[in-house]
Amino acid sequence: MTTKTQSLRTTETMQEDPYAARARFAGIVRKIMIYFFLLVGAAIILIPFFWMLSTSLKTESQLFTYPPEWIPEPLQLNNYVDAWAQLNRIAPGLTFTRIIGNTLFITVLAMFAEMFSAAIVAYGFARFRWKGRDLVFFIMLSTMMIPGTLTRVPAFLIWRELGLLNTYDPLTVPAWFAWGPAYIFLLRQFFLTIPRDMEDAATVDGANTIQIFFYVMLPLVKPAFLAIGVLSFQGNWNNFEGPLIYLNTTQMFPLVLAISFFQQSLSLEAPKWHYMMAMATMMAAPILLLFFMAQRYFIEGLTVGAVKG
Amino acid sequence: MTGDPGALSTYYPTLLRYVAVAAGIAVVMFVVYRLLRRFGIKHEPATGFTLVLPWILGFLIFTVFPIGLSFYLSFTEYDILWDRPRQLEDSLFNYKRALSVKIVELPEGERPIQVLGTMEGPTPETVRYRELDRFTLGDKTYLIGATDGYFLKGVWLTLRYAVISVPLGMLGALAVALLLNQNIRGVGFWRTLYYLPAVLPAAAVALLWFWLFAPNSGLINWFLSPLYEFLGVGRPGWFTDENLVLPSFIIMGMWGIFGANTVILLAGLKNIPKDLYEAASIDGAGNWKKFRHVTIPMLSPALFYNLVTNLIGALTVFTQQAFIPTDRQDGWFVNWFIYNEAFNFGRMGYASALGWMLAVVIILLTLLVFRSSAAWVFYEGARQEGGA
Repeated sequence: MTTKTQSLRTTETMQEDPYAARARFAGIVRKIMIYFFLLVGAAIILIPFFWMLSTSLKTESQLFTYPPEWIPEPLQLNNYVDAWAQLNRIAPGLTFTRIIGNTLFITVLAMFAEMFSAAIVAYGFARFRWKGRDLVFFIMLSTMMIPGTLTRVPAFLIWRELGLLNTYDPLTVPAWFAWGPAYIFLLRQFFLTIPRDMEDAATVDGANTIQIFFYVMLPLVKPAFLAIGVLSFQGNWNNFEGPLIYLNTTQMFPLVLAISFFQQSLSLEAPKWHYMMAMATMMAAPILLLFFMAQRYFIEGLTVGAVKG
Repeated sequence: MTGDPGALSTYYPTLLRYVAVAAGIAVVMFVVYRLLRRFGIKHEPATGFTLVLPWILGFLIFTVFPIGLSFYLSFTEYDILWDRPRQLEDSLFNYKRALSVKIVELPEGERPIQVLGTMEGPTPETVRYRELDRFTLGDKTYLIGATDGYFLKGVWLTLRYAVISVPLGMLGALAVALLLNQNIRGVGFWRTLYYLPAVLPAAAVALLWFWLFAPNSGLINWFLSPLYEFLGVGRPGWFTDENLVLPSFIIMGMWGIFGANTVILLAGLKNIPKDLYEAASIDGAGNWKKFRHVTIPMLSPALFYNLVTNLIGALTVFTQQAFIPTDRQDGWFVNWFIYNEAFNFGRMGYASALGWMLAVVIILLTLLVFRSSAAWVFYEGARQEGGA
């Protein structure tokens, strides 16, 4: 409605004032320029995506046709099955379901522990005054600077001493110790925004700290809790470094490591791009789906640290 | 590779320990809380400390202890197959090996020399200076030799990558964020679109771009082939061409981080109160002045956040390099290089020393950015956390 009245008004003034017409023309040119740049950017982003999908539906010989085929004829949907079948041939037992099972096992366990422990720790930082709290909080934020490179070798040695190499333990169990400083920070920022009356009321009603945390506080920070949930899912699903260091047995490989294994063993001399793109698409699909469903939480998780802090 | 252990037999023990550790932490928290209360500490501080305890324990076990251990290991020789590290006679040997450089004059009329000298090593294998690069000064040619030229090449690649890709990524993202902030229709749609590459797993991004940059049948060379014909040059090898490895990685990196940066900056732009611009207009500020004196200061926390995260990200590239096997001669990103030293070549002591050097560089650069932030980052109102 408002845009309509505005444009009507501009037409009126246009007849009276030649300057307004020029300004309007400049406005249109500006709009066109903006959309032009946006579309160029969109092409740069979408063409590689489309190429990935297109390649994943080609036969091996179609990979090298010139000029390239955008929509392969016929669509080789089989690639999505064959790629894993090929992998299974060199690593018996490593079926697609097994790989997905491995990936989900790592991701879900790590995600659950990470979310839960981050929430508890963030609550301790946000809502209780204790001596040294701010110093500890500062140290926690500083750990974000420490690169994984520094702790990789000693962490490996610790797990070796414990006899837990080639198990899923190093990838899941330490998540209980709130290993994501960024998640703690994000949740703390949210806890800080909740009025204290909420807890006071619950305390008057005779609730203890644990009850307040689960029944009052956690529901109130649900958006932030879900935001770190999706970020954590994404992080663990994509995690390559951890599994690469700790897992040896091929049958225990998660998706990303299976793809790497395929690249190293079957695709080194003559790259099987159609299979690799099919695998990459399958690895990306759940994350993209999650992103489209829970976009709000992704954006929330991404921006809160930067804009509010 | 060992035989198939079966899915359940690999899940079950971990699941058991996962539950046990959770229960263990709960018990420790309970005990600590009781002890604190017994020593007369009030409910509030005792509860707060107890709730943070999981992080403190994790920090001690998985950060402080490993960092200390890694510091000790960096002065030792420790093959991955050994039980214990071996003390080095020259305790700084690992650091010397990584950084030693020697410049010698190329003797005239001689065959190209491979070994420029040796360094006393603790192991039977002598550490040799090998040619890294050469340069001419006057009419003489000099050779630069290094004891670990691959590492130095990796450092050089990584630093150049960070120095070029971080500012480019920030400026580009700022431009896109400003475009998206121009009252355009369907901001949400565009924002989603621009964020898509950041959602794609790094492994998938790397494979995709490795394929796009393929020398013979890659899409990019096909797309640019009219240009090559016009210029009369052959198709570049991108990731396989020593001069183009860096640009290829930068282009790929741009595509990946652009979106995340843009979304953060856009949120920052939307947060700027409109009346600031109105006030500036009344004061007679033009578009540039508004941008310079309102937008940039108000956006500086978001820019600062991008700068820090992008810098750390650029210095620790790992997955991309793992899926794009470039020639080690052209330099590997240091994080990947160090991983290989430790787990492929089994030099754990040496890798610890390299890890320490990378960490020190990252921490120093980050602190530098933090120090400089006081001058250019503007935090609205008084903030308790200040620069943290």
